[in-house]
Amino acid sequence: MAVWVKLAKMMDHRVYLDHAATTPLDERVLEAMLPHLKERGGNPSSLHASGAAAREAIEAAREAVAAFLGASPGEIFFTSGGTEADNLALFGMARAAETSGKRHVVVSAVEHAAVRESARRLEESGWEVSWIGVDEHGLVDPAELSAALRPDTALAAVMWANNEIGTVQPVEELADICAEREILFHADAVQSAGRVPIDVARTPVSTLAISGHKLYGPQGIGALYVRDGVALDPTLLGGGQERGLRSGTENVAGIVGLGMACQLASESLEGRVRHESRLRDRIISGVTELPGVSLNGHPEMRLSNSVHLSVDGVEAEGLVLFLDALGFEVGSGSACASASAGHKASPVLLAMGQDEREAFSAVRITVGKDNTEQEIEAFLEAFSTAVNQLRELSPLTTT
Amino acid sequence: MPDTYRPEVIDHLVRPRNVGEISDASGIGESGDAACGDIARFSVRLEDNALTDVRYKVYGCAACIAAGSALSELVCGKSLLDAARVSKEDVRDALGGSLPVGKEHALTLVLDALHKAFEDHWNLVAGDMLVEGYGGSEKNDGKTVVAAMSGGVDSAVTALLLKERGYDVATVTFRLHDGEKGSRSCCSPDTVLFARDTAHRMGLPHFTLNLKDLFQKRVMRDFVGSYEKGRTPNPCVACNAHVKFHAAAFLADGLGFHHVATGHYARVADGPSLARPRDAAKDQTYVLWPIPRELLARTVFPLGDYEKPEVRRIAEDRGLAVAYTPESQDICFIPDGNYRKFVRKKVAAEPGEVVDTAGKVLGGHAGVVDFTVGQRRGIGVSAPTPLYVTEVRPKSNQVVVGKKQDLAVREVLVRDLNHFLAPDEACSVQVRYNGSPVPCEVEETADGAWIAHLSEPVMGVAPGQSAVFYSADGERVAAGGVVARNGA
Repeated sequence: MAVWVKLAKMMDHRVYLDHAATTPLDERVLEAMLPHLKERGGNPSSLHASGAAAREAIEAAREAVAAFLGASPGEIFFTSGGTEADNLALFGMARAAETSGKRHVVVSAVEHAAVRESARRLEESGWEVSWIGVDEHGLVDPAELSAALRPDTALAAVMWANNEIGTVQPVEELADICAEREILFHADAVQSAGRVPIDVARTPVSTLAISGHKLYGPQGIGALYVRDGVALDPTLLGGGQERGLRSGTENVAGIVGLGMACQLASESLEGRVRHESRLRDRIISGVTELPGVSLNGHPEMRLSNSVHLSVDGVEAEGLVLFLDALGFEVGSGSACASASAGHKASPVLLAMGQDEREAFSAVRITVGKDNTEQEIEAFLEAFSTAVNQLRELSPLTTT
Repeated sequence: MPDTYRPEVIDHLVRPRNVGEISDASGIGESGDAACGDIARFSVRLEDNALTDVRYKVYGCAACIAAGSALSELVCGKSLLDAARVSKEDVRDALGGSLPVGKEHALTLVLDALHKAFEDHWNLVAGDMLVEGYGGSEKNDGKTVVAAMSGGVDSAVTALLLKERGYDVATVTFRLHDGEKGSRSCCSPDTVLFARDTAHRMGLPHFTLNLKDLFQKRVMRDFVGSYEKGRTPNPCVACNAHVKFHAAAFLADGLGFHHVATGHYARVADGPSLARPRDAAKDQTYVLWPIPRELLARTVFPLGDYEKPEVRRIAEDRGLAVAYTPESQDICFIPDGNYRKFVRKKVAAEPGEVVDTAGKVLGGHAGVVDFTVGQRRGIGVSAPTPLYVTEVRPKSNQVVVGKKQDLAVREVLVRDLNHFLAPDEACSVQVRYNGSPVPCEVEETADGAWIAHLSEPVMGVAPGQSAVFYSADGERVAAGGVVARNGA
């Protein structure tokens, strides 16, 4: 093993640049959660003191989440995460709307699998689904959404920001179009929460999903915002928790953690965005100095923390593992990321018009609030080393 | 199998060995899997059959990169024979054990690229040598043998028996034609991989030779041309006459090996001459007659002393995965067996007349290529007694039909002879693949052809087919040749 690789390992300083996958737990979030894991252990449904304390903690967290989104606490429902929130929104609204005879939904082609697969399930059970495409930047055209809406359209779903390429959709405009036509609109805001100001008072979404572990909170907790007056059928049945919409004993510590994460995000959103954007732009300018490295997604309308690249002549898997060996953790831009599943090109990149080989050459670098400029400079050096070495290895590269 | 890569893989990924290309390489091989987009390229430098340099390039997943690196390290500096012995298992071991699920194909891919580089080397050395007809070089001594390996049970057991008898064995698989995908024909790329695996499991080196041009020129073109000329070809005979044994001998000479071996059922007797095998039901002497004597002298047929069921049992006992493979087909380059369709695609056929032996027109046909002597079906003329094709006349575009007795032949003119014994030792002749020998007397013509006077009439002797003469005891092949004409 080369000396400098050994050094990188010995230094034991790993640089985490995969915040779109998950974010590290904020120390203050952990502090807020600990008492609920260690000392108090009440069930919020219990009448005794411990139960009441748990109930109180949950409601405080609900207020924090509501404040973060510009909602009222009664509009916040806790779930096990972003996936459950997305599922609940689609199936919940669809089932509630079925009585009106509307059986058509409109979904973008670049949704997270939680929405995409829910829409597919609706399609299988007799619903009609219109999939609307994106341009080469991954952007949904509001006119296309408008044209896809029909009198029997029950709901539309477009994610706020894409988890792979980081493109931020014109959600306000899209939600307005649906609101005018009195069509329900769901926004998956898992990636955008904490990186884009969200105010449901300004943006007329019907439902909106967020996840704890994408904004420095714990894994296994999320929330669905449901606008007052929007009808949803529950997908989980049981003890009737969360006002009957989401049965199951509440994840008290997780909810408290999410509440704290939202509170911190509300307080420091502007500063985080400024910091992340600076690091992001430094990465973009650094990596695109290399030939054959290009930025995917929208050049301006993109998340403050997201850099998504196509690297000619290199397969993402090797690049990700190479960087990992040097101590830098990034995501591979396509689903072929998972070592076990074999090759599968990202539907998002394919929807943007890339071919399979381009899609396999995609890596995703997502910075976080705690990354430093020194880390980014070190990363750029490692990235250039890795790309050059892998290209030297590639029979597709002409030297 | 692990879900993630082992440290050995990551080490090869970050610090790959032998990356690059050799500008004046002895051979270059590339293998790619279109399904997943991975590509591996190897270039090798060979000096005195040793790998003095190996370079590789890979576009693909980490497994492919690491496998290529590990393989290059395993073979560099080795003799060609030892390099050709390196197996998928060896590469897997060098990478610390099994790869994550779905990544094992990387081993096959890089090994195939390396073997294609060897193949490229041999083809560069061969040049036109094989096309012109390779007679073999000065004999070497020693218990060394190149065994042809199709991937089937017979050739696998052949290699195994030779190894157990103490021979140094190198195996070779020939690429003869572009077999159709998913076909069971014995020469598809899958069978090349299978043959390589089989050889490697026995610890034997494996090579491939690309003989597609040679096979096209000497077998397929002749096959199609025969039908045009109203003759009935035998492609296996043509392959044995010009392709298989020559190529095996060429490789043996290249490796400094003496013998060549195949999984045919036959024996080599003194002389050398060709002799019948122990298993009469599997006897292949009828198609082996054209092997040139100088090549036969160095040929070994280990299966000549075995019965087929014994061969299968040996494969089972030794745990060879080939034990239950089906018998290979009659014509390997026509996987669906429809040789008329195959010929029709290659030649334009013109309609003509169907006439009787007296020349009277009985009907029409769509082309002489559809007919062979002795054929009964598909004549398209109704008659009170069954009609048979008795002659095909390509020049006048006529097909002659007659009664069954019109097919009877008492005299056969045989040309292009390959002699093993003197003419007076030839006591019987076999004129059809599934026929049996008929007693005959041989008359030698001034131009060296033989006329076989048959003791009894034989039905359906078709020009182009082989005529193989046997000795008095019926055990040895006296000579073989091609039926030029038959007479009543």
